[in-house]
Amino acid sequence: MRAGIFGVGHVHSESYAGNLRNSPGVEFVGASDSDPAMLAGWAARHDAAGYSSDEELIAEGVDFGIVCSPTNAHLPTVERMAAAGVHVLCEKPLATNVADARRIVEVCEQAGVKLMTAFPMRFSPSLTSGADWIEQGRIGDVLAITGTNRGHLPTDYAPWFADKELAGGGAVMDHTVHLADIIRWWLGIEPEEVFAETNHVLHPQVDVETGGLVTLGFSDGVFATIDCSWSRPHNFPTWGGLEIEVVGTEGVFTIDAFAQRFDLWSQGGTSWVDWGSDTNQLMIDHFAGAVRGEHDLFVTGEDGLRATEIALAAYRSAEAGQPVAI
Amino acid sequence: MTLGIGLVGAGNMAATHATGWEEAGDRVTHVLGTGSRRAADLASNLDADVATSYGELLAAVDVVDICSPTDTHLDYIRQAAAVGVPIVCEKPLGRTPAEAWEAVAVCETAQVPLLIAHVVRFFPDYAGARQRVLAGDIGQVAVMRLDRSTHFPMREGLWFSDHARSGGVVLDLMIHDIDYARWVAGEVTRVYARQAQAAGSGGHALATLRHAGGALTHIQASWDFPRGSFRTSLEIAGADGLLTIHASEPFASIDSSDVEESEIPQPPTTLAESPYVTQMRHFSAVLHGTAEPIVSASDGAAAVAICDAVARSIETGAAIELEVAG
Repeated sequence: MRAGIFGVGHVHSESYAGNLRNSPGVEFVGASDSDPAMLAGWAARHDAAGYSSDEELIAEGVDFGIVCSPTNAHLPTVERMAAAGVHVLCEKPLATNVADARRIVEVCEQAGVKLMTAFPMRFSPSLTSGADWIEQGRIGDVLAITGTNRGHLPTDYAPWFADKELAGGGAVMDHTVHLADIIRWWLGIEPEEVFAETNHVLHPQVDVETGGLVTLGFSDGVFATIDCSWSRPHNFPTWGGLEIEVVGTEGVFTIDAFAQRFDLWSQGGTSWVDWGSDTNQLMIDHFAGAVRGEHDLFVTGEDGLRATEIALAAYRSAEAGQPVAI
Repeated sequence: MTLGIGLVGAGNMAATHATGWEEAGDRVTHVLGTGSRRAADLASNLDADVATSYGELLAAVDVVDICSPTDTHLDYIRQAAAVGVPIVCEKPLGRTPAEAWEAVAVCETAQVPLLIAHVVRFFPDYAGARQRVLAGDIGQVAVMRLDRSTHFPMREGLWFSDHARSGGVVLDLMIHDIDYARWVAGEVTRVYARQAQAAGSGGHALATLRHAGGALTHIQASWDFPRGSFRTSLEIAGADGLLTIHASEPFASIDSSDVEESEIPQPPTTLAESPYVTQMRHFSAVLHGTAEPIVSASDGAAAVAICDAVARSIETGAAIELEVAG
């Protein structure tokens, strides 16, 4: 089975090349990007073939592709892939607006290609334990959840992350969707209401919000907060992290999804080095397996659409200064 | 000069304050007791007299220290102010903003000191973190996270399990971090909060605060944590850096089998001097005229007003805008 990377604008494309090469039964073809300089650098780093357009990469004959272009460019690429019968694993958030996200889901449905949203945290063994504990009632009934998904200012890799047009926003767009997806997955229900406060105290040099606190309200009275701020300084030991805590009537559990790490103090500084399971690899192996017909998708395009809707509702709430219905 | 202190209340905080006064070189000479066994026991332990009326107590002491249930504070304050006796009052200053602001006004009019026991300001980690912020180490405050999570003491007839008297987890517990957030990041202009509604909850609330300077604060206050646990945590992300304090005690190592179900939780401190003692030393110095108060009476009222807005947000589901006093 042949696979390519459509767009290298997203930092995750840096890991996916190796993941595709390591995925059993998958042959990595190369990557496409319309930015020649970006593509050339990427191709050299990964010793891979570069294609200057989606069409050229599709013409090489690929069974599935990972979409890693800036968020507002997802839809046209997905349309081209779907038309050619190429299965789609799309970076999150799916799109910068609900209409485009819905269209991505529709075109894949209509073309009969599989669509999965790139939520690698769904494959995190520690977060899977959390899902099991909730299902088994280990902490009684869930009362509330707090999640944090904080990171560096991501513009060090590519400036588009802080471009409202290309990314749809800043920290809220970048870091609300993973936790929104995990919380939906764990609770098995959809939020009804979203409240958000955002600010722009961190990184005044960019033009989007850099801090955000989002609250989700669910029908059964359960609520959850998400801290999506780009609040890790550039010398933080790693890119950021994802932590989640669930308080129930019979107990509490806390998961640091990136706790499996070495603390490495070198003369040049401190860094955290992951030794835990590679969730990107697990995600790609799962998608490849689904394309081969071995199992159903665990994460769908619909999941990506819902998470995108939540992030966009957060912007509406921040604007209104009040909670909004979703 | 040793100050003679009159204690109102004979519960957990009264005993804690009494120890602090003794360490500060002052002495509890009277405990208000109207037939209560606990007051008689506390007085006996402290080698103090039992005053059978509040008037008798006020006539006999230099300072009154009010550690009674929250909804009784204002009456005791009014009477002490009327006869010119300086007042120390356990937080919250009042059950409602109206009560709290009236307490401030009567003491101002009578020119009687009113010192509010917001003990978190005397914890060296919390006070030190604020000093780092004031020193400019992390730049302008952007996103702050505060957490105070413990169990609810199961005891018959405990007044603070009566929401009408204590204001529940928001006014009794979250107020600590609300005062701290305001102390560090300035006046609060808007709040949004949710509280667990399930019958099995002892009290669990999450709040988002927006400050006038643009900072955001996330606060968790919980009485739904396992017996024996008392976790506090603090993180301040600023434009130029990040400051974190880890849980004051290793959370996982607490052996809850040693903790009585009825025990009233206090934050653990591994310090040579308890912050409760540091607080009383400070109050003593203020009353001796050798220090300026770290917590003003209006700080105490402002904290109650923010708690009230949090409670209204929980009740109505809306974000609540605050008039900034002064």
